[in-house]
Amino acid sequence: MARKDLLDIASLHREEIEFLLDQSTSFKEQFTSSVKKVPSLEGKSVLMLFYEPSTRTHTSFEVAAKRLSAEVTNFDIAQSSITKGESVRETVETLQAMRTDYIVVRHGRSGLPGMIARLTKASVINAGDGAHAHPTQALLDAFTIREKFPNPVGKKVLIIGDILHSRVARSTSTLLKKLGLDVAYLGPGSLVPKYGPENIRRFTNYEEAMAWAPDVVYLLRVQMERQDVQFFPSLREYHRIYGITNDRLAEIRQRGLYIMHPGPVNRGVELCDAVMDYERSLINNQVENGIAIRMAVLDWLTPGGEAPKSEPTFERSFAQLPHLTA
Amino acid sequence: MLLLQNARIASEHSPALREGDVLIVEGKIQEIGTNLAVPEGARVIDARGRVLMPAMFDAHVHFRAPGFENKETITTGSEAAINGGVTGVVMMPNTRPAIDSAAVVAAVLDNAKLRSRIPVYTSGCVTKNREGKELAEIDGMRMLGVQMLTDDGDTTNDPAVLLRAMQYATEFGMFFASHCEVPELAGPRALNEGVMSYRLGIKGSPACAEEIIIDRDIRLARAAGAHIHIQHVSSKLGMETIRWWKSRGDVKVTAEVAPHHLLFTDEHIGDYDTNYKMNPPLRTQADCDALLEGLKEGVFDLIATDHAPHTPYEKAQDFISAPNGITGLDTALVSLYHYFVRPEKFGWDLVVKRYSAEPRRLMGLPVPTIEVGQQAECVLFDTEAETTFTKEFMKSKSQNTPFINQTLQGRVDMVILGTEILLEREQLVVNS
Repeated sequence: MARKDLLDIASLHREEIEFLLDQSTSFKEQFTSSVKKVPSLEGKSVLMLFYEPSTRTHTSFEVAAKRLSAEVTNFDIAQSSITKGESVRETVETLQAMRTDYIVVRHGRSGLPGMIARLTKASVINAGDGAHAHPTQALLDAFTIREKFPNPVGKKVLIIGDILHSRVARSTSTLLKKLGLDVAYLGPGSLVPKYGPENIRRFTNYEEAMAWAPDVVYLLRVQMERQDVQFFPSLREYHRIYGITNDRLAEIRQRGLYIMHPGPVNRGVELCDAVMDYERSLINNQVENGIAIRMAVLDWLTPGGEAPKSEPTFERSFAQLPHLTA
Repeated sequence: MLLLQNARIASEHSPALREGDVLIVEGKIQEIGTNLAVPEGARVIDARGRVLMPAMFDAHVHFRAPGFENKETITTGSEAAINGGVTGVVMMPNTRPAIDSAAVVAAVLDNAKLRSRIPVYTSGCVTKNREGKELAEIDGMRMLGVQMLTDDGDTTNDPAVLLRAMQYATEFGMFFASHCEVPELAGPRALNEGVMSYRLGIKGSPACAEEIIIDRDIRLARAAGAHIHIQHVSSKLGMETIRWWKSRGDVKVTAEVAPHHLLFTDEHIGDYDTNYKMNPPLRTQADCDALLEGLKEGVFDLIATDHAPHTPYEKAQDFISAPNGITGLDTALVSLYHYFVRPEKFGWDLVVKRYSAEPRRLMGLPVPTIEVGQQAECVLFDTEAETTFTKEFMKSKSQNTPFINQTLQGRVDMVILGTEILLEREQLVVNS
């Protein structure tokens, strides 16, 4: 099951997911030993191609790569310039000449890492593309939940917030469903699409969602910057309706629920300050586990192989449609 | 002199094909019958049951010149038309500069006279540079033969501007063609809002963005007493809106549908396949079904391809960066045969009526028929042969079509325009 790229969760098989989660467990065990480094990627190069600002994911990948003894290069992109597909292609063609083995890419445009993967022999890891996918986040979330629930089948995860623009919501819920967990959404009507996945329950108010008795409450970062037209009137109103207020935290504590958040948090919006000290907050566990997951992913992918074709893959989608073979 | 023997003749009036021989003399159909005598000096072609039909006319093409000759030129565009059995086209004005003045119209038409073997007509912009603000110099364009006014590629977004233009230009006998989409709702992404846009993580354009402008522009036309032509309808409710207005009968509405909107859904986009990115976007199977129903019922007066070439380099970008459009001239007639006529979803009469006769009526042009005394403007189509749409086969400068390297049933074997044989496939069996 050699794989060149990790672009999304949808294309991962159950066995691959289990394998990655198990591998992460052994990498994590390494963290507490005196020698944190393993030599598995010695002599390999990892290129960090971040077109969107990111401290956590960027650092997490960098630490993971270094603990695998890989050489890490940061390709600095001017954060202010809007980078269209055309110039990204040129960049990738340049990078190809540098013979890097792995490219970790984050970009605001959905589907762009897939385009890069078709252009290069290097293994491409999607570190977040637009509202499309964030596979390593999903894996670290699943890993974090599995640490608390060794048999997570049937456990319930309530995801609260901006589902529409969230690649985390897409990837994490896809992965949790694949692992047999139950997922539900809660958020403003303008940010939870009606045409979203059919197998995911949708709640319209907090009380109803709590009555569903979730095991984990997963808060999404409210991203004001992605909103070209306002989706809700104010952050204060958002917090009142969907945020974890002190009162709601008391209820969560009483029910013994876990709280997760992909970070960085907006205090006073998704959650109140007290949540940061909540004993069942897994937010820091997520950060730590992120390194183990990314080590497992880097260790697992196989760069090289067939040079992929640069043209869009029309044949594939065409052939899949029975009504067209009339 | 050309004698076509054993043809099956199609017309817009009947789904049945009439078998017979057709004698063409000096570009005119002189005789139709069975077992016609071979006149001396005539070239004889045994059509062996191929379908002989009036040549097609495409009322919606983007030939990209001036300004984007890397995508298409008048030459390559018109050759793609001939390759697909089309002998007349109407260009859209979203060139650079936009076709918004007599000077640009003159340049385009002069260029076409030199570089095209078929008549090329052009529409003109409603507003200067298609910006939706100032009116273009409409009568100047009319004097050079422009009849259709459109800001195609975009909606003329300010209803007051469009209403004024309609009130003004209708007096000169011109009509309006609308690309219908509320830009604030649609966004720039050319992807249907729905399950697929959610899965791909790209902001979608809801069908209501189209429905609203279809309804709005028809109402404006009614208020102005104008003729409104609705372009490339993609949605079920869009079709139903037009049907409702047509049933009222108090406004002149015509409408077109594109083959790709009948054939493909947003699901075809699969893993960000940019060949399925066009504007208006592909929607759902329910929309395809409704559009087909609308076509059969006559809600759509015509089929037009919205032939929109883009270079491989542009289309090989990520889905969001890649430009909107699909080519259609090389493939339309064969795909209509393969997916609709052959499985008997509709007959040749519909193809002839909607892709040959009605678009010419829209443009006030004579309608060719296979009848004695008519000019020969016809296509010989082999239903037994196949066409593989390789890069080499297609004459368009661009190959942004999902049909690339696909093999479909049916082949355009010969295209005749008056005294000229514009196209004759090598494979055609010829008796001398």
